[in-house]
Amino acid sequence: MTEDDPATGGRAGGAPDSGVAADGVGKTYDGDGDPVRALDDVSFAVDGGEFVCLVGPSGCGKTTLFRIIAGLTDATDGEVRLAGTPVTGPTTDMGVVFQEYHLFPWLTVEENVGFGLERSDRSEAERERRVDEMLDLVGLADFRTTYPKSLSGGMKQRVAIARALAVDPELLLMDEPFGAVDAQTREMLQRELLDVWTSTGKTVLFVTHDVAEAVTLADRIVVMAAEPGRVAEVVDVDVDRTRERGDPAFGEHVSHVRELIGARPELD
Amino acid sequence: MATDTGRGFDGDELRAGLGLDDPRRLLRGAAGVVGFVVVWHLVSLTQPAYVLPPPTAVADAFAGEFASGTMTTALWSSVRHWIPGTVVGTTLGVAAGVAFSWSGLLDDVTAPLVRTLRPVPPLALIGFAIAWFGINDAGAAFIIAVGAFWINFYASYGAVEGVSEDLLDVGRTLGVSGDLDMVRSVVLPASLPGIMTGVRTGLGRCWMLVVASEIFGVPGVGREILRASNNLLVDTVIAYILVLSLMFLLVDVAFRAVQRRVLVWRA
Repeated sequence: MTEDDPATGGRAGGAPDSGVAADGVGKTYDGDGDPVRALDDVSFAVDGGEFVCLVGPSGCGKTTLFRIIAGLTDATDGEVRLAGTPVTGPTTDMGVVFQEYHLFPWLTVEENVGFGLERSDRSEAERERRVDEMLDLVGLADFRTTYPKSLSGGMKQRVAIARALAVDPELLLMDEPFGAVDAQTREMLQRELLDVWTSTGKTVLFVTHDVAEAVTLADRIVVMAAEPGRVAEVVDVDVDRTRERGDPAFGEHVSHVRELIGARPELD
Repeated sequence: MATDTGRGFDGDELRAGLGLDDPRRLLRGAAGVVGFVVVWHLVSLTQPAYVLPPPTAVADAFAGEFASGTMTTALWSSVRHWIPGTVVGTTLGVAAGVAFSWSGLLDDVTAPLVRTLRPVPPLALIGFAIAWFGINDAGAAFIIAVGAFWINFYASYGAVEGVSEDLLDVGRTLGVSGDLDMVRSVVLPASLPGIMTGVRTGLGRCWMLVVASEIFGVPGVGREILRASNNLLVDTVIAYILVLSLMFLLVDVAFRAVQRRVLVWRA
């Protein structure tokens, strides 16, 4: 694990080894009946410091792919490499954020954020400083001793992001993290996430089914198709940030991605 | 968060079961007690004392047993069964429940044994209690421990089973490695509400087992109840039943206070 990796400045020409790559990833489930091919030959690369979204229709294996990248599920074929090293299991080089937050309910906000740090070799003073930094980053310094039950959905997800970032991972891996909050909160969290990304320079891989969300956030969008789950196309989003939904270029990208995944616009 | 842990074990519904924190409920509860005693008294007028003694007779018996010192001696003796029996049974039950539930291997190995031993009522083990420990405090404590063990074993087993897979995943991604670390950092705290519900149930059940555990001649409240029953001294029987109830209440209220403090994150 590199301390304060230099990816901040390296977004354009980032070191080839600092990102995450899927190489020929396939997954077959042996069910009771015929084996089901959930993912087939999925290959793509996220450069260090890049923000990539993974979108696709439901049933395209997004969540399976997310779990394989996180090291929580084994791939049947191929491999995932983080900074050039094959992923063989969960690692603190990846900060993982789940849709349903999954905060530890018995821990306060600061204890949740500090959970991963307790297993690092940092001194106690360092850990405390890191927790403070993270709480400031997500604007929850005033809630440090609060238990999760008293937090709103948006606040819980901020804590989850702070918790994932606290151990200073190379990659922030997020599975529909804003899927469980209302639209207004979602937009706010999207803006905040972009701020966090800009200020930390982390590589972000963000899974979503919301095409507009992907176009709002991503440098590039990996569009998946279903049955079996595979990469349909990788779309560059060359729209200047901050992106406005009213911008024609924004709309064009959304339409293009929707066409690829065959989604009718009203379904979003 | 309620979806994460111990669904179905809700501390709130147990809270203030006595209504101690709400004057209106306290008043209603008192009315219920007074009403019950009045009805009891009226019914007892129509019955001979060995069928249903009047409340006043019970009060007299209570005072008499207390004044003679019999009650205090018996209670102290029972407490000496209850404490070690409960502590040992609860500790082993929770430990085994957590371990067997978490470890698939241990679970597979022990499942047939557990299913065989589970239906054995603690009382059926009196022979072993006598053979292994003798007719003494340890024998009685053994019976109580067996009862406490099973309650806590199943409560803990179920609580660990109910720990959300997602929390375990989060733990793994945050560097938790190995069974010991996972159990300590995630499994135990996540299942603590369920485990504590089991402990609380066990504490109560063990007071009931006190009576059974003293059936083979060890002195204590249970022994006094049996002795009075044999002599048809129903008022004394009820007096000692009241002692058990009071002990149960005392322990339960105290444990609930602890539970509320420990599980402050749930309320």
